Parts: sequence; C-alpha cells; structure tokens
Amino acid sequence: MLEHYMIQGSSYASHIDGLVWVVLLITTFWFLLAEGMFFYLLWRYREQPGKKALYINDDLEHAIKYKWVEIPHRLILICDVAVILGAVSVWSEVKLSMPVTDETVRITAQQWAWTFRHAGADGELDTADDIVTVDDLHVQLGKTYKFELAAKDVLHSFSVPVFRLKQDAIPGRVISGWFKPTQAGEFDVQCAEICGIGHGIMPARLYVETPEAHAEWIAHPTHYLAYKNK
Amino acid sequence: MVSARPTLAALALTLTASAGCADLPEGGVARGAVLYQNCDQCHGKAGEGSTLVQAPPIAGLPGWYIEEQVLHFQWGWRGAHPDDVEGLKMRPMSRTIKSDADVKVVAEYVSSLPAAATPATLTGDAEKGKAGFATCSACHGADGAGNEAMKAPPIKQLPDWYIVRQIGKFKAGIRGYQAEDAAGATMKGIAGTVADDAAARDLAAYIQTL
Ligand SMILES: [Cu+2]
Repeated sequence: MLEHYMIQGSSYASHIDGLVWVVLLITTFWFLLAEGMFFYLLWRYREQPGKKALYINDDLEHAIKYKWVEIPHRLILICDVAVILGAVSVWSEVKLSMPVTDETVRITAQQWAWTFRHAGADGELDTADDIVTVDDLHVQLGKTYKFELAAKDVLHSFSVPVFRLKQDAIPGRVISGWFKPTQAGEFDVQCAEICGIGHGIMPARLYVETPEAHAEWIAHPTHYLAYKNK
Repeated sequence: MVSARPTLAALALTLTASAGCADLPEGGVARGAVLYQNCDQCHGKAGEGSTLVQAPPIAGLPGWYIEEQVLHFQWGWRGAHPDDVEGLKMRPMSRTIKSDADVKVVAEYVSSLPAAATPATLTGDAEKGKAGFATCSACHGADGAGNEAMKAPPIKQLPDWYIVRQIGKFKAGIRGYQAEDAAGATMKGIAGTVADDAAARDLAAYIQTL
C-alpha cells in the first residue's frame, strides 16, 4: 500500500516498506488494545447509584500490577525483538553491506546544489569521458551503483524517496553506499538536512533510464554547457 | 532534456510567499524592495555584500546589468558550472524570482541603493595594475564606469577580492562558458591574458584607486 503513495524504485525499497509495516502493525495493535481497554474501563466503572468507590490495598495492587503492567510489558518486549531483528537485517542489507556494483557515481553536495560525476561510456570514473552534471543524476535501470557522497561546506543529506534512500553528507568524509534502480522514470532528490537559507530549494532530478535511453544520454549528455533554458 | 523542475518552482513559490506575499505591491521599486528580502540574506540589507559568504556588494549597480545577470543565473549561463562554488548558491536563489518582470523590479530596487566604498582586503601593486588595465579600459572605460552598449558593467566600485575571484573564474572557464553569452565569452578570452593571481591582484589594486 505504501507503494501506492510512493513508487518503490530500488531493489531494497520494498524491504524498508516492509519494516515500516511491521512497526505500524505492532503499534496499531497495541494502541487499539490499550485505548479500547481504557474506554471500556471508564464506562464499566462509571459512577453508579448505590456503589461506593474503593481504595485498593497493597495485596490487590500487586496482583493488578502484574496483570495489567508486567504481562503486556513482556509481550511488548517480544514485539521489540521482532522489530529489532527486522531492522538489523534491513540495515545490514542497505547500509552495512556493499554488493558487487556495476558502476560508481560520485555525488557532491554543496550550498545549494548537487554535483554528479557519472562514469560515462567507459563505465570508469576519473577518465576523460566522465560526465559532470549539476542537479541531474542519470542512471541505468537494473544496474547496481555504488555512490561516493561528499559535502563541500556543511551537512547535507542525499534523499531519494523512491529509492527509500537517505544518507547524510558530511564535510571531510566520503561516505559510500549503493542502490539498484528497478523502475524507469523521472524522480525527485531533495536535500534532507538543513544547510542554510537555500536548503528548501536544493533539489535534484533523478533519471532512471532504460539501457537504450541511457546510452543515448551518454552520447548526448546534458551538462552545464547545455543549460540554455530555465 | 533540461527539466522544467516543477518541484523547484513550487518551492520557490513558497519561499517568495514567506517574503511577505500578502502585501506585495503591484509593481515598481516598492515591489522590488519586498522581493529583495530573499537576496539580503547574503547580499545584505543595503546591498553591501558579505566577504563571509563571498557575496559581492551589488548596491548601485546599473539595473540592466543586475537584470541580465539574474537572468543568466536563471538560465544556467552563469553559476551552473560544477566548480562555481558561489555561483551554485546564487543559481537556485535567482530562481526564486518568478517572472522576468519581477527580475526587473528587483534590479531597479538594487540599483536605487547607494553604493558604499569597499575597503582593500588584498595587497597588490596598483602601478603594475595600471599598465594591465589598458586592456580592461577598452570596454569598462578608463574610469572603470562601464559601458552599457558593450555590456561591460562598472567595475570601479567592486571589492578587490571579488575582482580577483571573478578573473580567476573567467580564466578557468567557470564563468563566461556559454557561447551565447557574448559579453561573458569575451571576458573569458580577455581574462586569459591575465598572467596569474598576482597580476589579478595588481589589477584589483589599481581599480581600487579609480
Ligand atoms: Cu543541503
């Protein structure tokens, strides 16, 4: 259902969504149960003619505590373990591991632009045919990309909602990660870390292209010299 | 395949709205003054500029030049080079001005602000700079007052650090890279004749004396 609101555009997008679902279902279950019980008790023990309110003695309180606090608490701990297991496995897949990648793209964040260094036709970075663009990232559908993320000035965050990818960029560090686009199309990138007055207008455009369209773009790239219009 | 960037447009709208859209005057310098609130974050309330964020003073520059440069930033003729650190800041900010008419009124407003003197921040040899300035004066005038017909802006009021930085950018092709930007492309060629950073500092020192 989440994909109804935001396309799952990467190989791990559905795994992140799955995790969101696990958390949502567990919290919804306990929320409804707790609130339901709360309102039921309010109603059940409302003021009634001829019935007097009672103070609880220590023995009674201990039994009540066990039943209403200790048992649910332990059940929730079991739920926590389920969430942690899911989270660690997704985190390890998305952030800790680096699969075999087909190509590397270098991403530089600065106030207030994204610079992308694409490998070009030879698939190798730091060669003469590299394509450097500002605010336009072009990738090929189905290829696995490694990215190297850096920041020139302050903190930024590379956020690609359709990939379910968000990674802070930190001055002085080069942070590696990966993604594998699984849906062709044109998508948003947005800086997701306050970085100054222009933070809100620091988007970029992501183009996920079929192999043919991507080859066509590499042959006729739209780099800064081609920015002739608004 | 340059995109229309609908997201950017929407965000720009929001940003402009936050600059007091409710009481935005219809036109003229008063409207420019309100729109300028997006610019003064870096360029200063009086258009005095800031060395900290490397924003040049713009107060009192001719309206035609400001208008042209803002449009160039919007079109990607200036500030779209991947190595133009300051230009890439100005690029999205320029796009918060939504119409050409608004660019014009902002330019009028900035032009109406009184220019202030800029203190020297670098050391250069003004005497040496004077000799080199002969080339510059062909377009910018012997007094550095500029020449609208040649699209040469006045430069006598520019701070030295900005002059050196811009000569460096023109030289490296970070500015003036767009062939259709004839004046910029010309300046790129001329800047290539400035031998090095020291020569640029000498020029700046001389321009300070104008
Ligand atoms: Cu940012």
